[in-house]
Amino acid sequence: MAVAAAAAKLRGSGRGLGQAGVLLLRRLGARGLARYHPRRQEQQHFPSLDDKPQFPGASAEFVDKLEFIQPNVISGIPVYRVMDRQGQIINPSEDPHLPQETVLKFYKSMTLLNTMDRILYESQRQGRISFYMTNYGEEGTHVGSAAALDSTDLVFGQYREAGVLMYRDYPLELFMAQCYGNASDLGKGRQMPVHYGCKERHFVTISSPLATQIPQAVGAAYAAKRANANRVVICYFGEGAASEGDAHAGFNFAATLECPVIFFCRNNGYAISTPTSEQYRGDGIAARGPGYGIMSIRVDGNDVFAVYNATKEARRRAVAENQPFLIEAMTYRIGHHSTSDDSSAYRSVDEVNYWDKQDHPISRLRHYLQGRGWWDDEQEKAWRKQSRKKVGTPLCWNPGPGAGVGGMFWGGAWVKNSGGMERLGLGDIELGDLGTAPGMSLSVACGVRLPGHMRFCCVLGMIPALHALLSEERHWGVAVRG
Amino acid sequence: MGPPLRLNQCRSRLGAPPSLPAVCGRVARNPGLQVGMAAFAATAGRLLGLRAAGTEGRLLRLRGAGLQRALLQPASATGDAAQRRQVAHFTFQPDPEPQEYGQTQKMNLFQAITSALDNSLAKDPTAVIFGEDVAFGGVFRCTVGLRDKYGKDRVFNTPLCEQGIVGFGIGIAVTGATAIAEIQFADYIFPAFDQIVNEAAKYRYRSGDLFNCGSLTIRAPWGCVGHGALYHSQSPEAFFAHCPGIKVVVPRSPFQAKGLLLSCIEDKNPCIFFEPKILYRAAVEQVPVEPYHIPLSQAEVIQEGSDVTLVAWGTQVHVMREVASMAQEKLGVSCEVIDLKTILPWDMDTVCKSVIKTGRLLISHEAPLTGGFASEISSTVQEECFLNLEAPISRVCGYDTPFPHIFEPFYIPDKWKCYDALRKMINY
Repeated sequence: MAVAAAAAKLRGSGRGLGQAGVLLLRRLGARGLARYHPRRQEQQHFPSLDDKPQFPGASAEFVDKLEFIQPNVISGIPVYRVMDRQGQIINPSEDPHLPQETVLKFYKSMTLLNTMDRILYESQRQGRISFYMTNYGEEGTHVGSAAALDSTDLVFGQYREAGVLMYRDYPLELFMAQCYGNASDLGKGRQMPVHYGCKERHFVTISSPLATQIPQAVGAAYAAKRANANRVVICYFGEGAASEGDAHAGFNFAATLECPVIFFCRNNGYAISTPTSEQYRGDGIAARGPGYGIMSIRVDGNDVFAVYNATKEARRRAVAENQPFLIEAMTYRIGHHSTSDDSSAYRSVDEVNYWDKQDHPISRLRHYLQGRGWWDDEQEKAWRKQSRKKVGTPLCWNPGPGAGVGGMFWGGAWVKNSGGMERLGLGDIELGDLGTAPGMSLSVACGVRLPGHMRFCCVLGMIPALHALLSEERHWGVAVRG
Repeated sequence: MGPPLRLNQCRSRLGAPPSLPAVCGRVARNPGLQVGMAAFAATAGRLLGLRAAGTEGRLLRLRGAGLQRALLQPASATGDAAQRRQVAHFTFQPDPEPQEYGQTQKMNLFQAITSALDNSLAKDPTAVIFGEDVAFGGVFRCTVGLRDKYGKDRVFNTPLCEQGIVGFGIGIAVTGATAIAEIQFADYIFPAFDQIVNEAAKYRYRSGDLFNCGSLTIRAPWGCVGHGALYHSQSPEAFFAHCPGIKVVVPRSPFQAKGLLLSCIEDKNPCIFFEPKILYRAAVEQVPVEPYHIPLSQAEVIQEGSDVTLVAWGTQVHVMREVASMAQEKLGVSCEVIDLKTILPWDMDTVCKSVIKTGRLLISHEAPLTGGFASEISSTVQEECFLNLEAPISRVCGYDTPFPHIFEPFYIPDKWKCYDALRKMINY
């Protein structure tokens, strides 16, 4: 090692073996000669005097002091905000100066979502729907970010982003139809409640597995970039889902493939019962971004203007520069994880009350509105009444006919059993109504016997009339209607 | 009862025969004469100070090789040089040159794949190909030249992350663009299992057809290759057969591969296309230069027969062809050989029709026996054709162990194991 260093010094000019080099060789003898094989010399033969590392994998400087990098979690990435907790703008130059109409739309979207959440949560408790997840406390993250996007920007969500759809004017009837799984559900009654999707509003249907949407959003962004669509893709996920491998995959792909995607992390403090202290040890999710080469920011998720500003700028740059952005919106999950959860088992009621009373996105915006003279208590009272009426429509209490049983089977391109249905030339078959059961209405397809050995198995807990029909026919099929 | 172990097969694969009773359970249960002889030979070899031969089986060149051969020459071994040097367990049989698709060119399997991908990228401006190492041409040369021809935004490397590759591919497909993802070996597809099964397969269904990822195709090299061992030899089609919503396809030849791959790419469902890697170079055929499609979910009767139905897919089809000719030659039994081609959804009609005719069914695949796709075929056929069956349905498959390295020739369902099972069925 010392010999090599000495040799390097002697050869300072880097022009190959000079006189000094020859002298050194003589001293070292044949064995030493091996070290100075022409190939080896080539490795050290660079024009720069600076002796910089040449590794393909990293382009930093050398350092000769052994020191580990200390992860900084005490004073980590700061939280960007525009309003204080009382709704006052802190730095006027950060005020987005949105028109009254827009800010009122923010407010009404958030409060309507809140009202819908209350009523649908109750519906689950009453046995009308099977399951529900509320968005309490996170309305600001939804509305602030949705407002900053173009209406055609593609949204990949996790499950707690209903406010994005609300902001995009998704009808209340369709929210509820999906929860009830009734005949109006565009999802054909196939998924649990809150798994919304809307093609028109560019909101990709929610799926239960967490973080799977992250690499998908990246792929969609890549395709949008290739198509010169001037579109961004936004991908929402929670701080818990960010622990999934898919999150790592998505971040890395977005950076290496230069995709115009916004990663929006709702850090609400809990993944069901798991607090962030058990979810990660680093400085949250925002600190991971730079590790991937991603522009990152942490914002106050309960400050709708901060969320708006950050998303707006991220969108502008993502499309212009074809690079991903990571926004970590700090917030708090005021409600339970879902109707299957009772969060008093793992957190104090005081903690929840603090966030509900002292730092809520809706109240902060209301203070702002009131401060601007755009809202007052009377309007508040009137709006509350109106929104309760909007949500509590007849549809909510009487969901109407259930989804057709044919909805259980495939429509469109994929037909079971090797194209048997197509080859038999079966088209649509009329769905007949064999009757309804209280609480859950079902339309039932007429049984159709198919020749040969084509058959579809169908096990349903069903009303007696249908059961009788099924047991008559050993081989039967249900028409697939798209 | 295992089939007779052919010594020249052992030699060509392993050099000096190892102590065979120790090899694996099933074989060890039936130490036939040749097994004992082989063990003796190994000891004799060592005693005589013979070096183990290389994998090409050049025992002839060793001193004292004559001694071994004199002791061990089984009646069936002909000592033919070509046979001893044979390293593959099958002989690829090219199909006759197709006439109906225009000009053809001699291509091997990977060239046929390249041709299909070339056609796709030419025809569909949204199509992109991505995966590990595809930019320089791919570890199996399937994407050679495509990046230069179509640009780095259309043929590109991804980071080393299968769940990312498939998830990314789903996302591209959701926007309507065509995504052709490559997984470097089917053995590494498992990190992407969640994305394939929980996402890709269910995308259209769960959204009520609002969204879909039908324009996604996943390609992966598949099956045994002679020395792949646990992680370069797997045939995971059975895992995916259990998943409604995707299609799973395995071609047997270059001509089939190009047509089937083009069909997968055009198909409106996410498809997994497994490419038998041992055929990449070994299979050479005349393949049309222009695009053409071979329909999915249609099995092909490649040889008609009346006594037994043999069903296989991928490389194993060629093994079955040989088994059929052995059966004809040695037993006078006429076999109907079916290439299943599409595993999911599979062509029940063709298989059942054939079994109704022959009354006997033998299914063979390299993947392990338990839970392998032969079990699905067997179960369905016995439901549909119970009264037509003359013998229990036979499955000749890999053992229920991970895919071994040095023991590959004993592991795979070679023609002798299949022939033996066929014989039993005939004599049932």
